[in-house]
Amino acid sequence: MLVSRRQFLKSSMLVAPTLAFMPTVFKHAVAAATSESFGVRQTNAPGTLVVVQMAGGNDGLNTLVPYADNRYYDLRGTLALPQGSVLPLDNEVGLHPSMAKLKDLWDEGNLAIVEGVGYPNPSFSHFESMDIWQSADLDGNFKEGWLGRYFEGLQATQSEPFQGMAVGRELPLALRSSKVPVPTVQSVARYQLAGDPRFPDATQDRAQAVLNLFAASPPGAPYSVLLDNTMDAAYRSSVALQNAHAAYQPGAVYPETPLAEALKLLAEAITNDLGVKVGHVSIGGFDTHAAQPDDHAALLTETSEAMAAFYEDLKAHGRDGDVVIMTWSEFGRRVTSNASDGTDHGTAGPMFFLGTPIKGGLYGGRPGLSELGDGNLRFTTDFRSVYATVFEQILGVPSEAMLGTRYEPLPLLGL
Amino acid sequence: MGKSDIPTESLPATQAIQDAGLNRRSFLLRAGALGLSALAFESLLAACNTPNPTPIATATATATATPTPTVPPPRATSTPRPTATPRPSATPTPTPALPAPDLELTRIGHLLRRAGFGASQADYNQFSAMGLSATVDYLLDYESVDNSDLDRRLASVELDLTRLGDLQQWWLLRMVYTKRPLQEKMVLFWHGHLTSSFKRTGQGPFMHTQNELFRAHALDNYDVLVKAVSRDPAMLIWLDSQSNNKRAPNENYSRELMELFTMGLGNYTEVDVRESARAFTGWGLQQRKFTFNTNAHDYDTKQFLGKTGNFDGDDIADIILDHPATADFMCRKLFAFFAYDDPEPEVIAPLTATFKSSGYSIKAVVREILTSPAFYSAKAYRTKIKSPTDLVVGAFHSLALETDGRAMRGMTDIMGQSLFAPPNVSGWEGGEAWINSSTLLQRLNFVNIVATARNQRLQFDPVKLLLLGGISSPEEALDYFAFLLLDGTMPEEERRVLQAYLASLDDRFGTQGADEKLRSLAYLVMASPEYQLA
Repeated sequence: MLVSRRQFLKSSMLVAPTLAFMPTVFKHAVAAATSESFGVRQTNAPGTLVVVQMAGGNDGLNTLVPYADNRYYDLRGTLALPQGSVLPLDNEVGLHPSMAKLKDLWDEGNLAIVEGVGYPNPSFSHFESMDIWQSADLDGNFKEGWLGRYFEGLQATQSEPFQGMAVGRELPLALRSSKVPVPTVQSVARYQLAGDPRFPDATQDRAQAVLNLFAASPPGAPYSVLLDNTMDAAYRSSVALQNAHAAYQPGAVYPETPLAEALKLLAEAITNDLGVKVGHVSIGGFDTHAAQPDDHAALLTETSEAMAAFYEDLKAHGRDGDVVIMTWSEFGRRVTSNASDGTDHGTAGPMFFLGTPIKGGLYGGRPGLSELGDGNLRFTTDFRSVYATVFEQILGVPSEAMLGTRYEPLPLLGL
Repeated sequence: MGKSDIPTESLPATQAIQDAGLNRRSFLLRAGALGLSALAFESLLAACNTPNPTPIATATATATATPTPTVPPPRATSTPRPTATPRPSATPTPTPALPAPDLELTRIGHLLRRAGFGASQADYNQFSAMGLSATVDYLLDYESVDNSDLDRRLASVELDLTRLGDLQQWWLLRMVYTKRPLQEKMVLFWHGHLTSSFKRTGQGPFMHTQNELFRAHALDNYDVLVKAVSRDPAMLIWLDSQSNNKRAPNENYSRELMELFTMGLGNYTEVDVRESARAFTGWGLQQRKFTFNTNAHDYDTKQFLGKTGNFDGDDIADIILDHPATADFMCRKLFAFFAYDDPEPEVIAPLTATFKSSGYSIKAVVREILTSPAFYSAKAYRTKIKSPTDLVVGAFHSLALETDGRAMRGMTDIMGQSLFAPPNVSGWEGGEAWINSSTLLQRLNFVNIVATARNQRLQFDPVKLLLLGGISSPEEALDYFAFLLLDGTMPEEERRVLQAYLASLDDRFGTQGADEKLRSLAYLVMASPEYQLA
């Protein structure tokens, strides 16, 4: 029988108010149990997705470069990457010269690229387009993220605090749900509840008093459920993460960049079996309206090197078969550059998938440079088809319920 | 502009709460006026050091024996709720759990939290003597308020305002110690609305200059501010105006001006974005100052929002301000900032009328918001999640802490609000997005730093504070913190948790725990879910 957290605390307080008695099931689970749950996931699916958000609108044309197409050089002018500098994947396209690390993984067959990903009637607003991508909803009706809906569907008994984990200051919309609080970690050192430094012995009792305080707030009060559930998840996950951090030995040398540090934190949680099914990290700065060449090269270097180090670490821990890394950005850039050595907001772009379970290659279809719509690329692959692939082949759950309708998955894992 | 006219009709609340509250607050105010006395000090320490403190229900009888004021009557309690039932899932719009604030003192507390950064005992003394209506005028007509104490205080701290940390410290100090709280609150509003970031401008005078621009025009007419910020160096850098050239216009500023700063999505086309970008060509920077580069400007005819002409940036601003979408967008945003999200059309309609008839006066709109029944309704009262800035500045201000501000640097950053470096051009999302597992831990760790501050740079002295409030026992201390920090709205279930914890401290510390007990009390009141709300 399931008990609410409130009920549990009431009874445990009478016996012994100790943290060892903290509940493993909290109250949202009661609601989740009555709604649909997935049952056991397909055992051949890797089970864990790591999302890398490239925020600001990554210039897809200068990431996966159609270096054999003269129209690219005509349209892009000085921003076009010279043929000789591109890292060729085949006779037609190649990677930006800053992505050598990912090129190596392409050569090993562990990198898939889905080209021309977008959606109908594209928005040129960062915020609207990010909302569309993160909610998987073109009309803005969903309040949950596309992965938040997945957390809500997980079986109620799976109550590890780390089903999802975001690294950064904010919990991205993609992982939000009204029922499941997702731990959001910025720094391990600060991810714990501090006590009075003069009385360290009292720290645990004080923490218990805080938890009791949040559990005692009247359920009808504004934001009471959000605050109580978040406090509960924060405390339990902080204890788990501190233990994981103490036990973790990195299996790769990570670059000293914010994205690499963030992915390293996810590696700590994954390799210590904290139950992470979806991890999320973000790198910003892709809104290259001006001075694009240097900025974009630095961003792609950071992305490529961090992803490669993370993959190597997973491999060293023998966990590379369980995890797939996916990148996305809210849109690509305008095909023609502006006068500030930059590009304005555009449309479709490529998504990267990295992992041992991945069947390397190019997927989707290439947007033609001779059939632009109002100066922008026409998308070839709906992003919801990519999400269907993630649900069915990576997370191992049916996709229709999550997306509202059937989208045909891509054979990224050779399934 | 006329004097403020606050609606006086009583909003629904039980007579019992009102009676209890009236007595309670008048008591606390009287008590505050008594100030420090040696006798009170002795009795407070003695009372705090007594193990197993008197139950709150019988405190009235025992307190009459001491020379200190009588304990306030027990607060009105609600029927305890059944606690075994699981909660429903979170709803997007919070349902008010508290009645509307129908006591003038509570309304003043509400006003100062939203139009300022909370209230100290001194504020309550000053503004309850003035009354609510005069307090609104005081906040709005801040030009006549002497702020020289703040200037002196800032002059005594050595700061280099071209550096991010120093600049944050400078602004946070302003917010804590200003006598013009609404002006600083508006600067915070503009910073989150007409964003720019240190990350893009780099070290230099730009973000400080922009901050002073917002202060100078905090309640000015909006067309004046839009035209001024279109020329502001930080903005010119942030949204690439400086490289907007007629050869191939850069759309960045043009798009965000309409989407985020004035009209909102859906009121213009992609063609309008491109045409407006042409109008702003040539608006750039030279020698760190605004310059109009005639060679880069497109002097040809533009078509913008159904109008045709040889427009420049100021023309675009005028056309945008005249558009009905702008009045609606700005009044909604201002109302949501001060009162609550998703306001009803009938709440917004008079505001947009005022915006237009006053020549886009922000002051007129804000005055109307702060005097509206909606602002004092149950829907507005303690229903917003405090921003990190509200939380940090509010704690320092309410507790009247003394600091040079160094300890405040970076504090809001780790709770998700890096002043002078918003996450993106739309500013901070706010609301529920302030709360995640990491930011909630940092909020609690922040109030822990405050409650346990025992050093010179940052000192919290609970005994001194309580004596100023005329408090002489731990039970009263709980009441007093709940009054000062929570308008007295701490739920009964939470009070019991606090009392149980205080009792456990007696076991731990015996008769030597007064200081620790009071610090724990302050910590737990500020750690409470209610304190996270404004």
